[in-house]
Parts: sequence; C-alpha cells; structure tokens
Amino acid sequence: MPKNYTSLISELREKLKECKSPHDVANIKAHYLGKTGIVTNEFGKLKDASLEERKELGKSLNILKGQAQELITLQLDNIQKTKEDNNFVDVTLPGKNISMGSRHPISITINQITSILSDHGFTSVSGIEIEDEFHNFEALNIPDTHPARDMHDTFYVSDNKLLRTHTSSVQIRSMLSNKAPLKIMTPGKVYRCDSDPTHSPMFHQIEGLYIDKNVNFCHLKGVLINFIKEFFGKDMEIRFRPSYFPFTEPSAELDIKFKGKWLEVLGCGMVHPNVLSNVKINTKQYSGFAFGLGVERLAMLKYDIVDLRMFYENDISFLSQFKGLK
Amino acid sequence: MKISLNWLKEYVPNIKKNDIFIEELTSLGLEVASIIKTKKDTMIDIDMTPNRADCLSIIGIARDISPVYKKKISLPKYIKFIKSKEKIFSNIDKKISPSYSALVIKNIDNSIATPLFIKERLKTCGLKSINLVVDVLNYVMLENGQPMHAFDNQKFTGKINVRYAKKNEKLNALDGQSYALTTNTPVISDDEKPQAIAGIIGSEDSSVSVKTKSIIIESAYFAPNIIRKASKFFRLQTDASYRFERGVDPLLNEYSLGRVLAILKEYTDIGDYFFNQSSAPKVAKHIGRSILINPDLFESSLGVKISSSFIVQTLKYLGFNPDLSRKKKTGLKVTVPSHRFDIAIPEDLVEEVARVYGYNNFNPILTSDSLGNIKNTSDKTNNYSDALVARGYNEVISFSFIPKGDQENHILKSKIITLMNPISEDKAELRGSMVNSILSTCSYNFSRKNLNLRIFESGKSYIKHSDKTVIEENIFAGAISGVNSESNLKNDQDKLSFFDLKGDLLSVLPDLSFEVHTGIKYLSKTCQAVIKQNNKIVGYCGEPEKSLYDQYSIKNKVFYFELMIDKIVGAEDIKYKKISIFPKIKRDLTILVDDNILANDIIDAVERKAFNYMINIKISDIFYNKAELGVGKKSMTIEFIFQDKLSTLTDNQINDEMTKITSLLKSKHEAIIRT
Repeated sequence: MPKNYTSLISELREKLKECKSPHDVANIKAHYLGKTGIVTNEFGKLKDASLEERKELGKSLNILKGQAQELITLQLDNIQKTKEDNNFVDVTLPGKNISMGSRHPISITINQITSILSDHGFTSVSGIEIEDEFHNFEALNIPDTHPARDMHDTFYVSDNKLLRTHTSSVQIRSMLSNKAPLKIMTPGKVYRCDSDPTHSPMFHQIEGLYIDKNVNFCHLKGVLINFIKEFFGKDMEIRFRPSYFPFTEPSAELDIKFKGKWLEVLGCGMVHPNVLSNVKINTKQYSGFAFGLGVERLAMLKYDIVDLRMFYENDISFLSQFKGLK
Repeated sequence: MKISLNWLKEYVPNIKKNDIFIEELTSLGLEVASIIKTKKDTMIDIDMTPNRADCLSIIGIARDISPVYKKKISLPKYIKFIKSKEKIFSNIDKKISPSYSALVIKNIDNSIATPLFIKERLKTCGLKSINLVVDVLNYVMLENGQPMHAFDNQKFTGKINVRYAKKNEKLNALDGQSYALTTNTPVISDDEKPQAIAGIIGSEDSSVSVKTKSIIIESAYFAPNIIRKASKFFRLQTDASYRFERGVDPLLNEYSLGRVLAILKEYTDIGDYFFNQSSAPKVAKHIGRSILINPDLFESSLGVKISSSFIVQTLKYLGFNPDLSRKKKTGLKVTVPSHRFDIAIPEDLVEEVARVYGYNNFNPILTSDSLGNIKNTSDKTNNYSDALVARGYNEVISFSFIPKGDQENHILKSKIITLMNPISEDKAELRGSMVNSILSTCSYNFSRKNLNLRIFESGKSYIKHSDKTVIEENIFAGAISGVNSESNLKNDQDKLSFFDLKGDLLSVLPDLSFEVHTGIKYLSKTCQAVIKQNNKIVGYCGEPEKSLYDQYSIKNKVFYFELMIDKIVGAEDIKYKKISIFPKIKRDLTILVDDNILANDIIDAVERKAFNYMINIKISDIFYNKAELGVGKKSMTIEFIFQDKLSTLTDNQINDEMTKITSLLKSKHEAIIRT
C-alpha cells in the first residue's frame, strides 16, 4: 500500500480517538468517506492511472476504504460502550436523607407491656403526678406511721402535696370515679427520694388493677404468668413468694430466674379490703387483684442495660440503638 | 437477718438439705438473700419484710416453718419470778413503755469467759462477743427476739425512770457518739440523767464491763412508733431499735429475763436477785384480738378449696388459737397470738394459710375479658412520636426536676414549684416548661460530639397557680440542630433550618398554622412562631433566646418546638369529596412587594376572597436583590392551580381570575407585577 495511505490511516485513527460522540464520528466519516471526502477523492485518481497501475491502486484503495470503515465502526462501538459505562450506578454509595429515629427504650417497654395487658382486657388510664397524701397514702392503707410516709422517701412540694411515689394513686382516683367492676392499667412516672446506680429519683411504673365479682388469687397468677411469658417471648422459670404491701392481702412478689439467679420483677396481691372500703366499693360483692412493676427494671433485663442512668442521659448514641422498635 | 442453721435445728431437727430448705423459707415469705457455709455451721441471711417482726429470732423462724415440718415449738427453760417488794423503778411513762420489766442481780461475776457455743452463735449471727452478761442478753435476743439492756447498778443513781428527755439533756452513748436529746426523745434515766435512749442505745457511763458486780437488766416492750421516730431522728438503727420499731412480743419481757437468769446461773456465780414489772392495763392493741372468719373466704380469695383441717392445723402451729366449737354457726373464731402485730382482718389469716399451702401450688387461671366500661386516657402522643421517629427524631426522657435557678429568666418565681426536700441542688425545681429539659439534652449531646440532633420528649410541665393549685400540662416538645442527614454525601447535606422543623411538625399534624410571634420569653424575637390549630393556640416554636444558648453553653444553632398536647385535636371524621375529572391548570405570578409583607399576608389576601376556580395557592420562590429590586423590597413568585368541577377552563376564564388576583394584590399590598 502506498506510503501516503498508511499515514492517512494513522491520521484517521488519531482523529477518531478524539471523537466523543457519534456526531463527531459522523463528521470524520464525511471528511474521509463522504462524496468529497479524502478517500473518495483518491478513487477519483484511478481514472488518470495507467491500466497496470490502476489494478494495483484499485486494490490498495479498497483496502484503505475497508480499513477506514472498520476504524469508524470500532470508534462508534467504543463511544456506545463508554456511554453505558457512564450510566453505571455505584449502589454502594450512601443513601440520601436517611432519617430513622428511635423511640426511647422506656417508651418501647411501656408500649410492649401495655399492649400485652391490653390483650388481657386492661384499659390504660393516666393521672396527675403531684398528689395529696390521701390518694397516695391514706386511701392505700398506708398509715401515718408507715415508713413510706417519711420525708426521707417522698418528695414534698408543700405540706400536703407530694410527687406520687407510685401510680396506685391513679387506681384510687379511678376506683372513686368508676366504682366496680374495673380493669385498668396505669403507666406513668413516679418519684422517690433515692439515687444510686440501682435507684433513680424518677422512674416509670405500670400497675394493674382488676376488681370484679369472684376475682381470686388464681386469676392473678394467670395474668402474670402469661404476661412474663409474652414479655420475654419465652417460658421463664417463675416463682411467687409471700411478701408485704399495705394495700394487698395476701401479698406476693414474683421472681423470675434470669441467668441462673432469682430476680424480683413485680409485686402483687389481692386488694386489701381497707383499700376497697376507702373507695366505697362493697367488699362483700367485689374482690380484686393488683400488681405493680418497674419499667426500667424490665427494660434493663430485656435489653441488657446495666446502668440505670443511661435512660435519662439521653445520649443519642445510646438512644439510636433502639431503632426500629415501637 | 442472719441466723445460724445449727441453732435453728435445735427447734426443727429434721430440716432438709440446704437448697430445699432455702426454697421452703422463701416460699413462706422469708426470702433468703444469701447463705455462707462455715466449718461447723451455715449462716442464712433472710430479707425480712417489715410486717414480720415475729420472725426476727431463731424461735420466730422455727415457729414459722413448724407447719411445714409438723413440729410444735416450745420455749427453752427459764426461771420463774416472784415479784419483789423492793422497787427498781419509780416512774414509767406507759405510753413509751406499756410493759416494763427489770431484774437486779447482785454479786455477779462477769469476768467469766462467755461459753464457746454462745460466742460462735453470736458470731454466725453477726454479733461481737463483749462480756458474759452482754453476750447472754444478745444470745436471748437472737433466740426469742426480745432486746434487753444491762446497766451497771453501781453507776446508777437512784431508781429507773422511763420518760421523755428534758431540754438540753444529752447522752454519751455506747457507740462513742454524744447525742443531744430533745423533748421528743424517749429515755431511760436514773434520778439524775438519761442512761439510755429507750429501745435504741445505752450510755457509756452505766455500761456493763467484766468488772461490774451488780447489774440491772431491762426487758421491755416499747411503743413501736416512738422508737421508730427517735431512731429516724438520730439516724441510728441498732439491733434493739430494729426490733422495737417493728414490734416485739409485748408479753415476752418477763420470760426473757427468766431465760437470761437461767443461763447466767448455769455459767457464773450470782448473788441475790429481784424482779419488778410495770404494765399498762392494755399493753398493745392486738393483745387478745380475735378474728371471726367465714371459712368460705379461703376459697373465694384463693380460688382453691383448702381443707379445714389444714387451715386449723396451720394456724395452730403458727401460734393462733382457732376456736373449733363456734366454727359452723358464725364462722371460725381465731385468737391472734401476742407476737403477731400484723394480723387484724380475716384476709390476714387467708395469707397465713396461703403461704403455708404454697403460692406456687395455686393453679393459674387466665381471664382476658375486657370490661369496656372505661375510656382509655393514656398517652395520645404515641402516634405523633412514631411519626417523628420516622422523620429521624430520637425520643428522649428527662427528669422532671431541673437545677435551682435554671428557669428564673422565663418563669415567674411565684409560679415555680420547688421541692421541699430535693435530692440535690441540680434536681431542686420542677420544670415549668420543657425548654430547659430539651436544651439541656442538646447541650449534653453536643458535648459528646453528637452534633446532628433531632429529638423530642413527651412529658409534663408543672406550674404553681396559687398556693393550693398546681397545673400539670402534657407537653410534646423537641428540637433540631445540625444537618439534614449526616450519612448523606457532603453535597447533599443541608443545614437544618426553622423550615425543617416546621415541615416536620406539619407532617405530623397537617392542619397546624404558624404565625409570627414575640410573646415567648425563651424564644428569640426574630425567629418565633405561635402554632395554631383551628385558630386556637396549641404551641410555640422558633430559635431559643440568646441567654438560653449561653446558659447551656450551646454554640450550634437549635430550633425548638413545644405543643400543648391536650389542646390538639386529632383528624376529624373525613368525608370523601368528588374529584374533578377536568384538567388542572397552573399559573405563576411574580410580584415585587415590601419586605415586611409576609408570605401569609399574600396567601390570606387571595384565599379570603374566594376565587371560583382556584383550588390551590402557594409561594414557590422568593428572591432579594438590593441592586435589582431596591432596598426593603423582595420578589415573590406565587403558584396558582385552577380547576373546574364541570368543564375544562378556557384561557379567558383563567385570565379573568388572574386579573382579579393581580388587582387585589396591587391594592392590598401595593404589589408590582414583574411578569
């Protein structure tokens, strides 16, 4: 092939390299293979050549045209391929505007507990936190002389106003206004003058109360055994043992076996007749049971939290660990 | 309470293996906290509930387990007294001590070593050996629960008095402390001065040593309330006060002295002795109490039929006296023993029988009935909380208490609720608003390099209305700070603004409206909104006031909101409206207005004058440029959507509407049309 043809091909190759779009390639193609293109012009020279030369030249020109066309097609393919590469999405880059917050583990635990109890027919009731001595103590058969009445354990805001030490005060108010029968649960904040790694001056309680005709100790056990099973999602070793609360008789404490040790999780009992009389419920007709549990305690067991203070520090790094739970 | 297993076995010989026995104790309500095995003995530590004063002794515990082992407990040997004519005491305040016994022993040799078995048992039960007399008194206290105290008779001037202390009296006590007594302090005194705080601690002066030759031993029943108050007052709890404040068997004091004498006589030389006792006609309320119980109560309360022989036997073992002769007619009459202060009503007897029967032996019955007679009044914020969580918020829960002085800039002092007995200065007041809690949480997280925050809390604020009334308000509050999403690529990160907060709130409650406001002290005057729903104020939001930023050392921009949750009404009943099938047509209008014209002013002006076909209006762009628009001017683009229910709107129809809107804005807000 004549020398000038070889350089023509390498020139074309260089020019095609710079082409970024099919349009660029089309221009180049016109420049070389168009009606007045360089290669087309070379074909024009055939008629001036001698017969012998013509045979040789024709052969070379066909090769040249073939090579040019091949290069052009190749470049078009390249462009197409590059275009596809540019459309490639790196799906491992960060998602945009991820915004999944979290409920507080205490709220999650309250929701779990109230949802289980709600399935057992308990209605959620809330009440005031700044209480008087009648609703927090006297009505609950906690006499003046009871240790719980000391300034030492109860926060007072005035002589007769205090921060409720349990949500039983809500039960008293509910019994006074609704009478029997009654099946309620009372989640809420309660306060005790206590602060160390296992006690917080503010914590959360849920108490349950069921007053009706013919309610007995076996019913109390039925609800609580089921509750523990549903809360932990499996059968737990449970024991009931006699205990003492001024507002229940008989009184019991429920322990669960956790990592080989018995742990106290809730107090319960049959509502003391004095409490029923205090709220004008006829003890000859009605009886009932009550129980109370600490939400923090159950949350700590469920989520392996060892320090009670974590709940109120509200470190986002702590809170965010509870994503996805309601 | 710590007890020796060997000692207990003297009364209940056939006790089973340790682990079974511990379960038995716990099952009776005597919860075992720990056990420690020593070479010859086992120490069992029992967490005693405050009602079970009768179990604060070996005999008490033996009696409580006697129904399980079917072994009746009898008291160990003692010496009977004849009341002496020689007086040991002169004045006994019978309110302080309704029953008071004293024994004088002369010519006693107290230098004899305490017998080894007594020493060892004291040690197992956690008491130190001091000298023979003191050790024997402690031994008998551990044995039957009666605390006693011995005075050195030779240090005692005159006779014993039980009275309240006089002003300025004090006591140098056995614990090395000096106690300033008050007129509420019950004391045991000689004719000159107090020699003991009654039922709590004796004086150093009259204490008994190995050299003591003559002793007075006091064995009394003190009124539990009086001892409890004094013990609390001095913050002093002793083995004696612990028992007295719970209630020591009021009929045990004479026997206990006889028991002490019997032991002393066996191990040392004693001379003459004589005994006195003073007793009120009615020593304690529960003495001689009898309870009439309908036997059906056992089944109706426990849900299980328990045989009457089991009931009667159990009560007998525990010291009760069931009167079988009256059983059928009026119920079972049961006399309460003097060691049981806590038994007053039939239900108390039910518990006695139930705990011996075993709480774990009752079969559970599941009742899931819903009564449906009460309205659920609990937290209605759950839905709002979940909605905010979906928008990236973390729920926080903070203490209702805040540090003293933290809210005085924005809440009147007379409205602040202060605790009378706060646990510390930083938890001294109840929050009158959530802003302190929320900003304090922001500050805590900023200091821990959690710079991107979206938080909320559902809680209460507490305000004093007058001296008698306080108001608790349910508040739903929160704050945002930082960037929209820190996981975004840098280019996609936007700094959060007031409008992110507003958008979040409108996503939770779409019918809220926001108006410019300046009335809230803790919010900045330049970025503050009152939030309304149906024209009623339901909350506030905006940027905190500068002083609050400073108070919490916050350098990052924060936007805060609070909603008064009880004022918010949920979505009303929704009725479907017919959807128009004709096309919606969009028109834009760009106007030049004074900078002080608010977006709401424009929208209100148009919305108030009902235009026939306009179904939506919104501000779609806003633009400031002093050079192009002039000082104090801004350009606003408003987007209108038109649609008719009955036909396709023509250009003319819409043009007519736009003309009316334009002239309205011109006349009302001096708007200049830019397009």
